Amino acid sequence: MLERSHIQSTGFRNVGPEGARTGFEVRIRQANYRSSRLSLIEGVDIIVDGVTYPAEGNLFRLGGKEYTRDELNEATQTRLYVGDYFTVVVPKQGGLTRGVHLVGSAIRYRHPYFPPEFQPAIARNERHATIIQA
Amino acid sequence: MTGFKYGVSLYSYTDDFGTVMTLDDAFDHVADTGSTGIEILGETSVPLYPEPPVSWIDDWFAKLERYRLEPTNLACWVDTRIQIDRRMSEEEGAAQIAQDLRLAHRLGFKFIRPKFGVMDRELTPDPIWEGAIERSLDLAHQLDVVILPEIHAPTPIRHPVTEGYVAFIERTGTKHFGLMIDTGIFQDRPLDAWGGGDFEAIKKGAPEMVYGTKVPVEHLADVIQYVPFIQAKFHNIDEALHDHQIPWERIVPMLKKLGYAGYLSSEYEGRRDPWVAIEQVRRQHALLRTLEEEYDAAHGAPLAETADA
Repeated sequence: MLERSHIQSTGFRNVGPEGARTGFEVRIRQANYRSSRLSLIEGVDIIVDGVTYPAEGNLFRLGGKEYTRDELNEATQTRLYVGDYFTVVVPKQGGLTRGVHLVGSAIRYRHPYFPPEFQPAIARNERHATIIQA
Repeated sequence: MTGFKYGVSLYSYTDDFGTVMTLDDAFDHVADTGSTGIEILGETSVPLYPEPPVSWIDDWFAKLERYRLEPTNLACWVDTRIQIDRRMSEEEGAAQIAQDLRLAHRLGFKFIRPKFGVMDRELTPDPIWEGAIERSLDLAHQLDVVILPEIHAPTPIRHPVTEGYVAFIERTGTKHFGLMIDTGIFQDRPLDAWGGGDFEAIKKGAPEMVYGTKVPVEHLADVIQYVPFIQAKFHNIDEALHDHQIPWERIVPMLKKLGYAGYLSSEYEGRRDPWVAIEQVRRQHALLRTLEEEYDAAHGAPLAETADA
């Protein structure tokens, strides 16, 4: 089972070759109470130690497939289930340093049954998480 | 005189389900309240919705038998605002409802609750609702599953949305479309928490959701003939079995007086700390049963029926 926080401890890691990291990634559980068509997710902002990495520049990975924001909008028949997680891939030259970071996430959900002015609705979370390998 | 049927919606266990609670655990908690019915959310509880594995379906029926529960309502959604720049067509809406009717039938449910996308703050449903539902009535009849849109805060009973649904029932004469009442419409005191959201932001942006719609319980009489199922929404019941927002002491006698004999399906929507919902649901069942027994005692208890059972 998954941790209660949206952001999971496991899966927080740098990506790209050691010494030439291209970014990092964060594992996040489905934070909605029902499964979401990927087209209802308008991207995920990540915040690390006060620096915001906006959804527009991040990739969304589910089941081994990566999606840009435009590709999420096309994925009307693919679902993120409750009890499952996705990964946000954040480009950042050099990656993150080894150690504990304050990590935040803001998932932009579109809930069609909410009035238009409340969309997207933002599901936020913040916690400490640890990078083991710089 | 007949009594209520008691059930629980697994919506109550939001955030627990998938982190600290399995479907087996949920069945155990529901059954131990003395409920006879279980309500689920298709997209939440059914793995690989809308096509669950056959092994899961076998296990679903085994669980129903083991815990002596019957499936009540399958909650589902018509995601009209399906893409940022595009809304669903009537055909797509009807296809979504057909899919959920078939899944409900396959899993033994009597009702589906499609939640349509809305156009405004009063929750006016996307205009495709009427055509999409009308195209679905034959299938609903064939499968004998009743389609129930939800009358949900801040939409009251005396409102064009509710009246539009009633006009549809009267125009078509269908027995396979009705109203589901969410008891959140009777909320008459403010919420003190919000399940999973930023409470201060909601207070500011949508005060009507915090301070209550305050529908008079007498208005139930207008529509009760079309209401076969009630979601017993609540937010906080304390150690003295006092509900801080929902006036059950007025709702229960009115439902009894109107002869309502359908389900009260618990829908807890309060603090989302782990496992809180399990205890909150139990308190609601204790409270509702107390009020029903008090009404029965004052109006001639259905003792003969109890003795026969």
